[in-house]
Amino acid sequence: MKKWLQALRRNLVALMRRPGAALSVIFLLAITLAAIFADFLPLDPLRQRVANALMPPNGTNWFGTDELGRDIIARVVYGARTSLITAAGAVAIAAAVGVPIGLVAGFFGGWRDAVLMRFIDVLLALPGILFAMAMIAVLGRSQLAALIAVGVTGIPSFARITRAQVLALRKRDFVTAVESFGGSSGYNMFRTILPNSWSPILVQVVVLSSVAILLEAALAFLGVGVPPPTPSWGEMLRTGKNYLYEAPYYAILPGIVLTLTILSFDTIGRALTEILEDRHDTGAGLKPEGSKA
Amino acid sequence: MDAGTVTTVGNGSVSEPVLSVRGLEVDFVGSGHPVPVVRGVDFDVYPNEVLCIVGESGSGKSVTALAVSGLLPETARIRGSIGLNGTDVTSADDETLRMMRGQEVGFIFQDPATTLNPVLPVGRQITEGQLAHGRLKPADAPARAVELLREVDIADPEGRANQYPHEFSGGMRQRAVIAMAMAGKPKLIIADEPTTALDVTVQAQVLAVLARRQAETGAAVILITHDLGVVAEVADRVAVMYGGRIVETGPVGDIFKSPKHPYTSALLQSIPRIDATEARLEPIPGTPPTPAALPTGCTFHPRCMLGNGRPRCQSEDPALRPVGPTQMAACHYAEEPRPTPQAATVRSAPAPRTGGEPLLAIDDLKVHFPIRKGILRRVVGHVRAVDGVTLSVDPGETVSLVGESGCGKTTTARTVMGLIKATSGDVRFEGRSIVGLSRGAMRKARRQMQYVFQDPFSSLNPVLAVEDIIAEPLRIHGLYDEMGGDKRIAELMDMVGLSRTMFGRFAREFSGGQKQRIGIARALALQPKLLILDEPVAALDVSIQAQVLNLLQDLQKELNLAYLFVAHNLSVVRHISDRVAVMYLGRIVEESERDALYDSPVHPYTQSLLSAAPVPNPEGRRARRRIVLEGEIPNPAKPPPGCTFHPRCFRATERCRSEVPAFLPYPGLPTRAACHHAGPLRPEEVPGPARDLEMVR
Amino acid sequence: MIGYVLRRIAQLLPVLLIASLGIWGMLYAVPGGPVGMLLGENATAEQIAAVTRDLGLDRPVLVQYFDWLVGALTGDLGNSVYSQEPVLKLIGERLPATLQLAVAATIVALVLGIPVAIISALYPNSWIDRILSGWSALALGVPTFWLGILLILLFAVQLRWLPSASTYVAFWDNPVQALRSVALPALTLGIYVSGILARFLRASLVSELRADYVRTARSKGLPERQVVGTHIMRNALLPFITIVGLMMANFIGGAVVTEAVFNYPGIGRLMIGAISNRDYPLIQGCIVVILVIYIAINLAVDVLYAYIDPRIEYS
Repeated sequence: MKKWLQALRRNLVALMRRPGAALSVIFLLAITLAAIFADFLPLDPLRQRVANALMPPNGTNWFGTDELGRDIIARVVYGARTSLITAAGAVAIAAAVGVPIGLVAGFFGGWRDAVLMRFIDVLLALPGILFAMAMIAVLGRSQLAALIAVGVTGIPSFARITRAQVLALRKRDFVTAVESFGGSSGYNMFRTILPNSWSPILVQVVVLSSVAILLEAALAFLGVGVPPPTPSWGEMLRTGKNYLYEAPYYAILPGIVLTLTILSFDTIGRALTEILEDRHDTGAGLKPEGSKA
Repeated sequence: MDAGTVTTVGNGSVSEPVLSVRGLEVDFVGSGHPVPVVRGVDFDVYPNEVLCIVGESGSGKSVTALAVSGLLPETARIRGSIGLNGTDVTSADDETLRMMRGQEVGFIFQDPATTLNPVLPVGRQITEGQLAHGRLKPADAPARAVELLREVDIADPEGRANQYPHEFSGGMRQRAVIAMAMAGKPKLIIADEPTTALDVTVQAQVLAVLARRQAETGAAVILITHDLGVVAEVADRVAVMYGGRIVETGPVGDIFKSPKHPYTSALLQSIPRIDATEARLEPIPGTPPTPAALPTGCTFHPRCMLGNGRPRCQSEDPALRPVGPTQMAACHYAEEPRPTPQAATVRSAPAPRTGGEPLLAIDDLKVHFPIRKGILRRVVGHVRAVDGVTLSVDPGETVSLVGESGCGKTTTARTVMGLIKATSGDVRFEGRSIVGLSRGAMRKARRQMQYVFQDPFSSLNPVLAVEDIIAEPLRIHGLYDEMGGDKRIAELMDMVGLSRTMFGRFAREFSGGQKQRIGIARALALQPKLLILDEPVAALDVSIQAQVLNLLQDLQKELNLAYLFVAHNLSVVRHISDRVAVMYLGRIVEESERDALYDSPVHPYTQSLLSAAPVPNPEGRRARRRIVLEGEIPNPAKPPPGCTFHPRCFRATERCRSEVPAFLPYPGLPTRAACHHAGPLRPEEVPGPARDLEMVR
Repeated sequence: MIGYVLRRIAQLLPVLLIASLGIWGMLYAVPGGPVGMLLGENATAEQIAAVTRDLGLDRPVLVQYFDWLVGALTGDLGNSVYSQEPVLKLIGERLPATLQLAVAATIVALVLGIPVAIISALYPNSWIDRILSGWSALALGVPTFWLGILLILLFAVQLRWLPSASTYVAFWDNPVQALRSVALPALTLGIYVSGILARFLRASLVSELRADYVRTARSKGLPERQVVGTHIMRNALLPFITIVGLMMANFIGGAVVTEAVFNYPGIGRLMIGAISNRDYPLIQGCIVVILVIYIAINLAVDVLYAYIDPRIEYS
C-alpha cells in the first residue's frame, strides 16, 4: 500500500511539472468539485422561467438562458455530474470486464485466448457509437443504459492493452522464474504480472475517460443518451443547435466545457504515457554495449 | 609514440594517416548537466592497418567512432579536431560530411538484424549510397550490387540482390552490410562491434570476409569491440578506452605481452582463456564508471591495485604518455612493477566419477514444437528443438552444454526444469523420474533444482525490493519462517557478496553484476542440490564476468552444488566445467571430460568450433590456422537427412547423407561422439593459409 | 494470394456468426419481444397469438434464426415496421450519400493530417512541433457535434457561404452543388480524423527516425530528403495504411453524429430515425450493412498491407 502511494505521488509530481498537464489536472479538479458540490451552489438547473427564455448573456445569467428560461451555467455545472458519473461508471465496467479478459487470454493463450478474443473482435466489429446506440435501442433510454452502453464499448481497449502487456511480460525471465521455483499460475497472474501492468492500464483509464465523456455527450446529442430533464452537455448542444440563428451563444459554454474536459483527459493521458515510458527507458539504457541478446 | 608523426606500420611502408583525431571531447546535453562521454582522445589510423578500440560499456568507444563521421545525435557537443584525409570533420558543413560518408568512410554496425531497412531490397540498399554520390549510373546499379554481394561470398548473388533483409540469415546480413560499407571503396572502415551479435563460426566467416576485402582495397579499419579474443586475432594496434579516455595504446603484441596500464593488465588477467585451463580468475573489483558519475582524478583509481589509494591518483587525471618504446599509457605509476596476484588457487581436480547414482540423468530427451498452419491450426511439421539428448550430472560436478544459437541448449535446460513439456524421453533427479509429475510433486522436486537466467535485466521483478525477490521462492513454498525469515535472506546476501545495507532497494538500482548475484541468491534460497545456469555471464561486462564466475566456483565448493552450465562462450566453458557436451541442431555431437574435449576433439563440429573461437593471444595467430565453416545452422524444422552436420562438414561422405550416426564412446578417450568419421583433426583437413585472416594482410 | 484472402475470410467467420446471433437476438431482448414491438403494450391475447403465428415465432428458436440468417444472406432483411418498405431499399437509397461523405472526409483528413505529421516529426519538440501537436490534440478533442455547430455558425449563419442543412447531391450530377453540400460535414469529420492520423503518423515517424537503419542510411551519405522520403516514409506508411483504412470503415457507420448535426441524409440519420421509431428490422438492417462494409474494408486493408509489406508471406 505504501509503495502504491509513493508511486502515485511520484507520478503526480511528474505530471505537475508539465504546464499542460498541470493545467489539465487543475481544470478537472475544479469540474469534479463543482459536480460534487453543485447542490451547495446557488444554482438551479431545473427552474424554468419561460419569460426569460433564450436570454443573451446578462448580469444574472452570465451565459444566458435556454429555451425554457433555465440558467445555462447551472445546467452546465449539473451536466458535469451526469458526464462524470457516466464516464466513471463506464470506465469501471470496461476495466472490470476488460482487464480480466486480457489477463486470462494473454496468460493462458490457446483456446481461452481464441474464444475471448473472438468475443472482443465482435465488440470491435462496429464503430463504438453504433454499438452503444444498438444497446440503448435494446435496453431503453436511461442513464444506466448510457453508462452500460459506453462501458461495454470500452471493454475491447482494456482487454487488448492488458493482453499485450501480459504477452510482453510472459516472455520476461522474472515471470518464468516464478514458474521455475514452483509458483502457481494464479500467483504468477495476480502477484507478478498484474502489479507490473498497472502503468498501461492506468493510462488507459485516463484515455478512456475522455472517450467515455465524448461518447456520452454524443449519445445525448443524438437524443438517445441520458433522458431529459437531467442536464447533460450533449443534450444542451442538441437543443442549442435548433436555435443557432436566434441564440448563437446557447451552444458556446457547454461546448467549451465539454471540449476542455476531453482535452484535459487527453493531455494527462499523453503526459502519463511519456512519464512512464521515460522511466522504462532508463532501465533498458543500462544494458551493456556488448551484451548478446 | 608521438601521435602526430608519421609512423611505420605493419607492411613497413611509410604513409600519412587516413584519420587523425586530436583532443576529441564529446558531451551529451540532456535535461540535466552535460554528461562527458569522451574526454580528450588522440589517435591516428594509417592505410592498411586495423586499429582496435577496446573497452567496456560506458567507456566511450562507440561514441568516438560515431563522432568521426558526424553521425552523433544533435544532443552531442563535440570539441577537438578530427582530420579525415585532410578534411576537418568537426567544422565541415552538412553537405561536405554527407559526401564524405560512403566515400571516405564506411560504417559497419553491431546488429545486422536492424541495420538494414526491412522494406527495401538488399541490392538497392547496397548501391544507393553510390547512386546518391553520382558515382554510379542507375542503369549499372543492379549489376554492381550483384558484383559487390559476390565479393563478400554470398551464394547466388543475382537472386539475393532482389531479396529483402528478412530473407537473409544474420551472417549474410552482416556480409551484405560489409558490401554496402565497401561499395564506395572508402579509405576508412569503422566497424562497431560487427560480430557481437553473431555465433562464433559465423563470426569467423564475417571477420575473414572483412579482412579479405580490406586487403583488396587497402582501407584502414577501426574495429570497436569488447572481445579481447577478436582484438588479438585481427588488430595491428590497440587503443584501450576507460571512462571516456584512451588509457593505453600500442602494437597488439606488446599490449598483450606487457600491458603498461593497470587496467589493461587487470583486464587481461580477468578473462577466462580457451588456451589455458588454469586457475582462478583475477577479477577487477567494482564496476566500470558511468559517464554521469566519474570518479575524480584517474577514473580507474577506485578499482586499481597499483594506485592502491595513493592521493595523486585521486586528484590528478594522468596524461597519456610514452611508456617504453612502442606503447603509451595514462598512468602515474605505469613503470612500477605490478603487485603479484594472490597465489592462484588452482582448482581442485575434479572428483573421479563415482559410478554411483548421478544427481541428474537426462535420457534420450526430445522436445518437438508443432508448427501449425491454416484456419484449423493443423500440425504441418515439427521444430526439433531437442532431438535425443542423453546427459548426466553427478553431485558437486559442473557439466556444460555448449553450442551456437538455435542448437537447443537452452530448451534442454528449460525442459529439465519443467518449464517446457518434454515430447519424449526421461529426466531423473536422484533416480526419480520428474517428467510428467503432478503439480504438487513437481513443486517438491523443484526445491532441489533451481534456475539462474541469462539476462539479469529481465529476470528480476521490477516492482519488488531485493529482499522480496530473494524471499519469493521461500514464500511460494511456505518455508519463509521455517528457514529463518529475514535472517535467511541476510545470510543469502552475504553468501553472494551483497551488502545488507541494500535491503529495500529495487532491481533497477543495481548494476548488471549485482543483479546476477541477486539471481543466484534467489536460486540458492531453497538450498538446492543442482543449479541450472543459463548463460549466467553472457550479458555482463568482461571485468564483471570474472567476479560472477569466481562466486559460482566458491559457492560450488562451499555448498557441494552441481551445475548444469549452458553457454556459447567456449572460454568461459573451459574455465568452469568438469565435463562438456557440444550440441548441434538438437543433439549432443560430442561429450567428454573438459581437457580431453578441448585438447583432442574428435567430432568435426567441435573441431571447427574450437578453431573458430578467437584466442586472446596475438603471438599464436600467425601460426594458427583455422577451419571456417561454410553456411549457417540449418532450420531445425527441416533438419538435413542423415547426420545433421553433413552439409557443413569437411569429412562428409555418402554415408553421412543417409545414416544418422550413433552416439558412441570413442576408444582411448573419455569421449563419446556422434560421427561416422570421428577422429583427431588431420593437418590436411585444415584449409590452406589462403583462407586465413593473417595471410591476406 | 487468393489463398491468403480466403484464409482471412475464414478467420472472420466466427466473428460474423456471433455478430449475426447478437443482431438477430436484439429483437428478443427488447421488452415485449418482436410481438410487443409490432403491437405496442396494449395488445390483446388474440392479437398476440395471431402475430406470433404469422411471424412463425411458435417455431423452434434455431429454425427462426436460420430463417432470418438465410434471409439476410440472400439480401432479404425484412420490411420496415414504420414505412413498410423493404429495409434493403431504404438503406440502398442512403448509402451513396454516406459514401460520398466518407470519401470527401478522407481527403480532408489526409490533406490536413499528413503534412502536419511530417513537419512535427522532423523537428521533434521544436516550437513548430508544439503548435502542430497542439492543433492535433484540439482537432481530436473538439467533439464533432460542437465543431459542426461552430462551422455552421461561421460559414452558414455569419458568412452565409455554405448551406447549413445539407442535402445529398450526387457528385456526378452536379459537382459544384455536391461539393457545397458536402463541404461542412466533410470538414467537420475530416478535421477530427486528421487529428488522429497526424498523431499516429507523427509517433510512427519519430520511432522510425530512431531506428538503426536510418543511421545506416545516413552513414552511406544519402541526402536527408532521401533518408526521410525513401527509407523512413516507406516504413512509417505501412502501418499508416491500416489506420486510414480503419478510419474509412469507421466513416460508414461512425458518421452518425456528423450526419445528425447537418441533417445529412446518410445511413446514420436513417438509423437514428429507426431507433426513435423503434423500427427494429430497420435498425437490424443498418447494423448488418454497416458491419459487412466495415469488415470488407478491414479485409481489403489487410490484404493490401500483406501485398505491400515484403515481410508478410501469404503462405
